[in-house]
Amino acid sequence: MDFWIMIEKMLEGFEKTCAIFFLTLLFSLPLGMIITLLSKSKLKIVSGITRFVISVLRGTPLMLQLIAVTYGPYYLFHISVSREKLIPVVIAFSINYAAYFAEIYRSGIESMPVGQYEAAAVLGYSKPKTFMKIILPQVIRRILPSATNEIVTLVKDTSLAFTVSYQEMFTIGKQIANSQTSFVPFVVAGIFYYVFNALVSFIMRRVEKSMSYYKM
Amino acid sequence: MKMKKILAVMLAMLMLVTCFAACGKKQDADADSPSKTETKKKFVMGVDPEYPPFSYLGDDGKYTGFDVEICRAACEYLGWDFEVFAVNWDNKLIQLDSKECDCVWSGMTILPSMKEAGYIISKPYFDNKQVLLVKENSGFNASKDLAGKDVAVQSGTSGEHLLQEDLKSLADSFKNVVACDSFLKCFTELEGNAVDAVFVDEPVAVSYVAKNSGYKIIDENLGAEQYGIAFRSGDQELCNEIEKAVAHLVESGKYAEIAEKYPDINKDNLTFLK
Repeated sequence: MDFWIMIEKMLEGFEKTCAIFFLTLLFSLPLGMIITLLSKSKLKIVSGITRFVISVLRGTPLMLQLIAVTYGPYYLFHISVSREKLIPVVIAFSINYAAYFAEIYRSGIESMPVGQYEAAAVLGYSKPKTFMKIILPQVIRRILPSATNEIVTLVKDTSLAFTVSYQEMFTIGKQIANSQTSFVPFVVAGIFYYVFNALVSFIMRRVEKSMSYYKM
Repeated sequence: MKMKKILAVMLAMLMLVTCFAACGKKQDADADSPSKTETKKKFVMGVDPEYPPFSYLGDDGKYTGFDVEICRAACEYLGWDFEVFAVNWDNKLIQLDSKECDCVWSGMTILPSMKEAGYIISKPYFDNKQVLLVKENSGFNASKDLAGKDVAVQSGTSGEHLLQEDLKSLADSFKNVVACDSFLKCFTELEGNAVDAVFVDEPVAVSYVAKNSGYKIIDENLGAEQYGIAFRSGDQELCNEIEKAVAHLVESGKYAEIAEKYPDINKDNLTFLK
């Protein structure tokens, strides 16, 4: 196979890899915050259920969750499987990563000293206002390094989508490798992932720097 | 101020995503559009895209192989639209069940367990057997020479199945049976001396030996088996139609013509050409 045809095929796959990556971030970052707030709810049932959901999402392989989300509805309710595989893939990735982000948010929120809440109360800030204006910006600054960790992992985890025949870059690389008995596609895939992740790390560093105002 | 920056980053991401989504959609539409009429039946063929010479990604980046070409010709004869769907071999029957494809047709060994589970299996079209691929200068000439040695096999294949059941005594004579998730990895293990032989389908081994020097095949007629096409239970009619179309291809000589293109497939093993 011509080298450029290979690159072209893998770029096609890379588009799909990017689609998983960006859509997952878009949904899992806010969803994680909702899960955190639910898990900190004063209602015992709500926080209990949320914690159980987090433990299931973190305690089972993502590969299994992908299969469950994609084929579960068919086997349980005979809803035909989506032809556009991106939908179940993004759902599975989003809920899985939301669980991880939720724990990261929690670590950030719980690390804030009580004094800040007290000071805000003295200054007459309402509870939601305290959270949005004082706590959250500092939390975001604090959790950025661990969030970057998760985001970098997400880039590499996209390769799991092959389990449900979503033709992302690594799946195509594997197909070329086995069709042409060559290891070159794996090398190319490695370079693609590395460059993409280098870019992600760079951007995250810039964001961290821009938020240094909140550093304590 | 800082929050605005974050918001800007998120918006930029959103825009990127929409871009990608739009690109993806356009391509899909292009792929679907040619000759798509409501009345035309569409036949989706499920293949393992990593199984040369039966089904693989060709030099031009499109799926090809013996099975793919036969199916395309059969669909042409029937006047159906034809589409290739790459399955994940470990989940192929789940994907068939959930109607992602209409058949699994990709050098698939007919197992009694498939018939028991209710799948409709076509008439066998290929007599396969398992061989041992070893290095030419290794001095191994028969399976008994490999006693106490390491042998690789692709997981999920009939070869692995055989080593666990019918050929268990042979497997027990080996030191280790190493399961790899693709043929390429099995062959690389052999090349790197991590294993001493690969237990593999004959056509795959022949194709590999043709492309790479320094290997030889030990053929002891192990694990004779046959390839067939799997359809969902209840699709007997579909199976009949495809079988009829293939029979027509055999009569018209088109079948032999396609087989000519794949020298790695031993013509004596194609049951329809006997």
